[in-house]
Amino acid sequence: MSQKEIDILKRAILREKGARKAAEKILEDKSRELYVTSEELKTTNLKLEQLLDEKSTQLQGVFENIIDAYVVMDLKGNIIKFNDPAVVLFGYDIDNEPLNVINLIYKKDYKYAMKSFKKLQENGFFTNYRARIHTKNKDIKWVHINASLIFNKQKKPIAAQGIVRDITDLKNLELQKESLLKKVEKSNDELQEYAHIVSHDLKSPLRSIDALVSWIKEDNQEHLDAASLQNFELISGTLEKMENLISSILSYSSIGFDSVKKEMVNLNTIVQDLNKILMIPEHITVKVKSKLPTIKGHQTKLEQLFQNLIGNAVKFMDKEDGLIEIDVKETPSYYEFSIKDNGIGIDKKYHEKIFKIFNSLNERKDSTGIGLSIVKKIIDIHNGEIWLDSEVGEYTTFYFTLKK
Amino acid sequence: MKGIVFTEFLDLVETKFGLEMVDKIIEQSELDSNGIYTSVGTYKFSEMLQLLQHLSTHTGIDIDTLLLVYAEHFFSVLEASYPGLLATYKDPIEMISSIENHIHVEVRKIYPDAELPTFIVEEKTENSLIMIYKSSRAMHHFGLGLMNKTFEHFNSTATIVLEKIKEDGTEVKFIINKN
Repeated sequence: MSQKEIDILKRAILREKGARKAAEKILEDKSRELYVTSEELKTTNLKLEQLLDEKSTQLQGVFENIIDAYVVMDLKGNIIKFNDPAVVLFGYDIDNEPLNVINLIYKKDYKYAMKSFKKLQENGFFTNYRARIHTKNKDIKWVHINASLIFNKQKKPIAAQGIVRDITDLKNLELQKESLLKKVEKSNDELQEYAHIVSHDLKSPLRSIDALVSWIKEDNQEHLDAASLQNFELISGTLEKMENLISSILSYSSIGFDSVKKEMVNLNTIVQDLNKILMIPEHITVKVKSKLPTIKGHQTKLEQLFQNLIGNAVKFMDKEDGLIEIDVKETPSYYEFSIKDNGIGIDKKYHEKIFKIFNSLNERKDSTGIGLSIVKKIIDIHNGEIWLDSEVGEYTTFYFTLKK
Repeated sequence: MKGIVFTEFLDLVETKFGLEMVDKIIEQSELDSNGIYTSVGTYKFSEMLQLLQHLSTHTGIDIDTLLLVYAEHFFSVLEASYPGLLATYKDPIEMISSIENHIHVEVRKIYPDAELPTFIVEEKTENSLIMIYKSSRAMHHFGLGLMNKTFEHFNSTATIVLEKIKEDGTEVKFIINKN
């Protein structure tokens, strides 16, 4: 072998050695790099696993702890998951019997259910779905459902979940309430009609008695002594009182049946008009201390309210300088009115009793004992309260509130 | 340029012209690598260019022909190394037309820093294909050699005409008609 050939071979060998070392270095660097990357991946995986465990536990907790039924279904409506309350509500054991949501829908609610399902697909959720379902043993239950789609990482819907609440009891109560209200309305109508008939039937014999008594009196005018004439006066007075009583009962029973809608009522105008109607005697002054508000209520009832209270103050005024003061105070949610007079006053022991029907404290012809019960009823209708403060022989102040 | 292109090249030179030729072209070139190549390394393209030029000078064979022959040899390397990739194709036209969208995608997974030419399909029928080759390396004949061997691999042949769009060969039209 020539020196030249030997040199060529030597150089070739040197290149081969160099290449081997270079390759080894590259591979070593690569493996180190791979090792580091794999360690990083392991750490990241561990973190992810922990996170997943944590989230799964949380979800499992929610799934097991919620009182409402929780249902997961695929996009075709096949039930995938029931929590315990769901099993109790629907009665199916989905691990052993496949179930589609269609089988649960009550026939008459089918259209509504399909509409809601469409909404779920389009918007990703629906809330406040209320309809009936069939349970496994053919019971019908009312349920309330909020539902939403479950998406995968690519934002594609893969399933749907819903929280289902059994509202059967609530719904039954609602239905019961409705039918009760209807019944009450009907019996109220009947009662009012009855009151009309009764008052008419009661009044006509009264009028007959009145007529007969006045005829007897006229026919025997010259034969009757002073005491008898006095008694005739009393009979006539009693009859008149009786007729007033019947009229009052009728008006009392009519309050609350009025289906007239509430409107804005200016109380200033009402009080001004009342001063004319009530024919207040010269010696009594009615003073409105502050401007009265305009409130939402029933015009005629509010008129009745002020008429009764001011009327009472006038009726039981025993002073020569009579003074009736009307005032109002405003609070955020209601008005507090006061009507004060310097009349005979009311003993404390009657303060409760006076608002009850037929409790007149005075044996007067023009006092039926119904006025304050009407007042109380009107205030009740307007969600207010009434009370009083009084000193016998000095004053009486009636306070009442009306909602704004 | 990937090391495997150098190692396979020098192996082929050794087989065809002997170890002395290998030694000569390395000694005459100015190489940062000193001619030390490993298939897993990456080296400058200018080194390949110098080796090719010196080989061309010594053998009197033009560079395009050298590249063509080398490519035909290189195809067998690919056949041996990536039989799975080749097996996904049933037809040479299909395989060649998918260089850009499939083969190069796979290459980048293994060699993210590979500098690859682009092959844009301009026209394609069942039996013909027109592609535009673009690369600053101007190694169109390397591509031609690989294509010839591709047809051979599927037991068929083709007439492939090269039309230079740019004189320096950095943009070339390949007109391929299956025989």
